[in-house]
Amino acid sequence: MNKRRKERLTTCAWSAPSMILISLMVVFPILYTFYISLTNMNVYHWFDFSVIGLKNYGRALFTFDSGFLSALLATVLWTVVNMVLQLVIAFVLASLLNIRKLRLRRLYKTLLMFPWAMPGYVSILLWKTGIFNSQFGLLNQWMEKLGQQTVHWLSSDLSAFLCCTVVNLWLALPFMIMIMDGAMQSIDRSYYESALLDGANWFQRTRAITLPAISPIIGPAVIITVFTTFKQFDVVYLLTQQAGAKTGSGFHKVLTYAYENAFITNNYGYSSAISILIFLLLLIFSARYQMKEEAGR
Amino acid sequence: MRRICSLLLCLAMLLSLAACGQPAADPAEAKRLVIWHDKEDGVIQAMEQHLQAAVPELEVVFEKKTSLTDSLKLVGNDPSAAPDLFIFAHDKVGVFAEMGILAPIEELLAEGALEPYLDMTLEAASYGQTLYQLPLYFETLLFMYNRRYMQDEEVPKTTDELLSYMENNTGRGRYGFVEQHSTAYYSAAWIHGFGGSIIDETATPFPDPLAVQAALEYHLNFVALMPGETEYSTVNTLFLEGKADATIGGPWMVPSARGAEIDLGIAPMPVVDATGLALAPYSGVQGIHVLKHAAETKAAAVQQLLAALTDPAVGIELALASGCAPANSLCYEDARVAEDPLVQAMRSTAEIAVPMPNIPEMDVMWTVVSNLLTDVNLSGKPVEESLQAARKEAEQLIEAMK
Repeated sequence: MNKRRKERLTTCAWSAPSMILISLMVVFPILYTFYISLTNMNVYHWFDFSVIGLKNYGRALFTFDSGFLSALLATVLWTVVNMVLQLVIAFVLASLLNIRKLRLRRLYKTLLMFPWAMPGYVSILLWKTGIFNSQFGLLNQWMEKLGQQTVHWLSSDLSAFLCCTVVNLWLALPFMIMIMDGAMQSIDRSYYESALLDGANWFQRTRAITLPAISPIIGPAVIITVFTTFKQFDVVYLLTQQAGAKTGSGFHKVLTYAYENAFITNNYGYSSAISILIFLLLLIFSARYQMKEEAGR
Repeated sequence: MRRICSLLLCLAMLLSLAACGQPAADPAEAKRLVIWHDKEDGVIQAMEQHLQAAVPELEVVFEKKTSLTDSLKLVGNDPSAAPDLFIFAHDKVGVFAEMGILAPIEELLAEGALEPYLDMTLEAASYGQTLYQLPLYFETLLFMYNRRYMQDEEVPKTTDELLSYMENNTGRGRYGFVEQHSTAYYSAAWIHGFGGSIIDETATPFPDPLAVQAALEYHLNFVALMPGETEYSTVNTLFLEGKADATIGGPWMVPSARGAEIDLGIAPMPVVDATGLALAPYSGVQGIHVLKHAAETKAAAVQQLLAALTDPAVGIELALASGCAPANSLCYEDARVAEDPLVQAMRSTAEIAVPMPNIPEMDVMWTVVSNLLTDVNLSGKPVEESLQAARKEAEQLIEAMK
C-alpha cells in the first residue's frame, strides 16, 4: 500500500464516525421522508402503507395555490427584512461594544446575550401576552396613558408582520452580535491606527477595513441565519396562528401555511411530499447562493 | 491495550443498543404500567392513591405529556417508546383506532363491568361499534358568573337577555360577559343552539350551513362586546381579576376562581330566543385507553388496573378532588357527589351537551372552524362567503386525509 493511499484510508477512518453520525441524523431523515412521500401512509394506512409513486406530489402541487404563493412572497420579504435589520443592528451594536475604553463592556454583552438564554417558546409567549395583548399588554397601557385608543397589534397583516419581526430580532440578534463582535475583535488594531494617521473618518474606516475584514468570518453565520429565518415557524405561528389563539392576521409563512393545509390531515405521505418540495425550494436558494459565492471568489 | 479497550467499548455499545429493541422478559416489567396523561395534579393524585390501595402489586407510573396526541402519533406503535395506557378525551378515539394502536376495552373487562356506566359516556368512547376507552369522568362548559357583579336574579335566561346585560355592563375596561369566542370548542355551543353542527357522523362538514350562518351572524353581536383576544389566558384572567361579570368556561376554571376568592355562581346555559334551544356545548369524556402492545404483552396487569378503575370509589374521589362528573352512575349514590353543586351542574348541562365527534375527520375541523371564526369575528369578513370558503377547505382537507 503506497503512502498516499494509506493517508487517504486513515483520513476516511478518522472521519467515519462523524460521517456516520451525520448520515444518521441528517441524511437518513431526509431519505426516509422522501420514501414516506412516495407512500399512502395516513390514518387509514398506518401500518399497512404501500408505495403509490408520485401521487402525493401531484396533490401537493395543488396546495401550492395562490395562498401558498402569497405565503412564499411573504416569507421572502420576511427573510430580507429580518436579515437587513439583523445585520445593520448587530453591526451597530457590535461596533459600540468595540469602542476602546468602553466601561462595563462585559455587563452590556451579558445583557445583549440574555434573550438567547431564554427558551424561544417562553420569549414569544411573553411578548404576546406581556407586550402585544390588547387588555394587559405594555404597549396598550402606554397608549392609554397617552390618551390614545388601544390597538389590536396582532390582528392586521402589516402590524402582525412588524410585531413578528420585532420578536424575531429580539431572539436572533444575540447570535449575530456575538459573531460580529468576535469578528471585529480579530481585526488587527494597526490597520485602524494607520487609517487614522491617514485621516480616515469612521465611515471610511468601516468601509475600507471593518467590512472587508469581517465579511469572510460572518459569511457562514449569515447563510445559517438566512435559512433559519426562511424556514422559521415558531414566531409567526405562536404569535398569530396558534390553534385556539388566532389573532385575525392573515400573515402566513410557507411553513405555517403548509401546516394548516397539509400537516393537520395526519396524512404523512402527503405531508412528507410537501416537506420535500419545500426542502427542494430551500436547496435551490442555497445552490444559487453558493454559486454566487463561488463566482465572487 | 488501547485497541482492546476501544473494541470492548464498541462491543458494550452495540450490546446496549441491541438490548433496546428486545421485549421485556423481566416479570417485574410485566407488572409495570406507564400511563401518559395531560390532566391536572388533583385528578392524577386521586387516581394514584386509589390504585396504590387497590392494586399494590402493580407499579403504575403516571407521566404528564403536554402534546400527548402528537407524541402518540409518532411512537404509538413502538412498544419501547410508547406508554401502556393513556388518559385523554374521547375525541381522538377515531384517529387512534384507525391507526390501529388502540386495543378494544370490553374484552379486558369483567362481564357486566360496564353496566352502571352512563350511556352517553359509552357511546362517546365507542368508534365503529367498538369501545376503545374506559370512561372515567366527563366535563362540559358551564355558564359561570361572579356574584359580586351579577346577582342571581340578573343571570340571563336567554341569549337576548345576555346581550342586553352585556350592552349595559361593558365598557371602561370591564366586560359583562367574556368567552373564547373565536375557538371551535366554544363556538360549537352557539352553532348547536341554532340547530347546526360542525360535522356529522358521515363526515359531512357543516351539514346545515344555514343554521351555522345564522349562529355566526347572531354571535357577532356578542363578539363586538368582548375583547379581541380569544385565547384562554386573556379570558381566564379577565374573569379571575373581576373585570368580567360572567363567562362560559370548563370545570378546570373552578379551582382558580375559588382560589381568587370569587363568589362563583353556576347557572344553566341561556336559551337562544330565535330557536328555543339552549346553548349546547361539546362534552368531553375523559377516560383511559389501552395500547395494543400492552394488551398483548401485559394483559394480566392491564386487566387488574382496569378492574380497579371500574370501582365507583375512583369516580367519587375524582369528583371530590376536581369537581368532574363521574361516568359511573353508581358514584351519584354517594351523598357528597350528589350534593356537589358543580358536579350536579355538569351532569345537568351534559344532558343538553353534544359529545365531541370522535371520527378522524374531526381532527381537521378544529382548524377549519377556527379559521372561519377568525375570518368572521376578527377580520370582519362576510359570514356567508367565509362559511363557503370554510366548507371548501374542510372538504379538501378531509379528502387529503385519505
